[in-house]
Amino acid sequence: MTKDTLSYKLTKIIKSVLAALAVPIFIIYVLVAKPDYSIMNGLAHVVLPVADFVGDVVTWPIRAAGQSVQWVRETSNIRSENKMLREKLDEALANKYACDIAVEENKKLEHELDVKRASPYGTVIADVIFDDSVFHHNTFLINRGTKSGVYRGMVVVSFDNRLVGTIIDCGSQYCRVRALTDADSNIAVRVVGSDISGFLQGNGKTKASIGFFSDTQFIGRQGLKIITSNISGILPAGIYIGDMIDASFVDVLRPNQNSRVMVLKYNNTDSYK
Amino acid sequence: MNDFLFFLKKVWPFLITLILWRLGAYFWNPAGILALIPIFYYTFVKPVKWFVLFGLIFCFLIDYRSNLSLFWTSWFCLAYAINGFQNYIDIPHIDRNAVLVFMFFVGAGIFVLMFSKFTWTNFINNLWLFVWLNVLYIPITSIDNLLNYKGKQ
Repeated sequence: MTKDTLSYKLTKIIKSVLAALAVPIFIIYVLVAKPDYSIMNGLAHVVLPVADFVGDVVTWPIRAAGQSVQWVRETSNIRSENKMLREKLDEALANKYACDIAVEENKKLEHELDVKRASPYGTVIADVIFDDSVFHHNTFLINRGTKSGVYRGMVVVSFDNRLVGTIIDCGSQYCRVRALTDADSNIAVRVVGSDISGFLQGNGKTKASIGFFSDTQFIGRQGLKIITSNISGILPAGIYIGDMIDASFVDVLRPNQNSRVMVLKYNNTDSYK
Repeated sequence: MNDFLFFLKKVWPFLITLILWRLGAYFWNPAGILALIPIFYYTFVKPVKWFVLFGLIFCFLIDYRSNLSLFWTSWFCLAYAINGFQNYIDIPHIDRNAVLVFMFFVGAGIFVLMFSKFTWTNFINNLWLFVWLNVLYIPITSIDNLLNYKGKQ
């Protein structure tokens, strides 16, 4: 079919009309379906695993070469890393006894004050398969899904029990996690050692901003520890988030700082409330 | 050997898109966004049969992974519609594989995204992404020229 024929021109116009019609349909869908996007996510649950599988097959030599390079690099750094870890271990052991005492005292006080905390009945260990921090969005994919009992709304923490993010979409064998630095992330937090609550909001930067404190006179400072507060009824209380860097920013974990994470399983997602 | 080159030439547009999407990595190729290069090239510059649908699927996958709610999918459809309705700019015959048109396509998209949440950190990140995409455009599209040249020999 040459470019001058009527049928070619007609086909081109029909294709363009279809493409032009798709744009308002997509925009209306995005506006109407927010925040669940069930059709879009459902479609992705089929397309993404297929594309991922085919991509795995096609790119395995490249990825194998990349992993070999990484392995060599890690092996060459192992001596200096070992030295650094020994120093950190000594430091941590020095603080351990003080922490043990504080934990026991805390348990006693919680018992006396009859404080009830939701605690996870299990954890699922997952690998971070894609770090998709781009533009103002910081999300990542983990290789566990509904088949492993992981569902939307669950909490993802690092191996040192630090909050990493929440699950926003779940396929059968993968989940998409929204990191704390994502522009759409907004969670209720509390300053450790006080009753002051606030909100931690991501803005696509490497750190998250904190504000809207319950005490308007409160001014944050470097070193204050921030934990989840459960006042918004979404996250369980008491999960460590990070330290304040200054009056308005908190140092939080970013997706690229974790290669493996834990998903905390509660009785059901409503148990957070 | 010639059969293999012929086969490679046929599947190359689909293969490179899939590879670039799958090899998504933090900083260098976040959410597989480099796949936009072959998607643009094989849709507008050197159209390949059935590639438009394939490109649409991969725009959707880039959107899904980067949590952008169909942005690049809509952008791609919009560009396709505009290109189809006009005959003023003949993209396949523009110099250097129409890198300037690609710059406009990607740059305008990034510009819109930047102002949906403007911070200076995002501005620098987006600038980096814009430069990186355009720097890689010529080498990636040149592979296709090389394959065609080898195929003709």
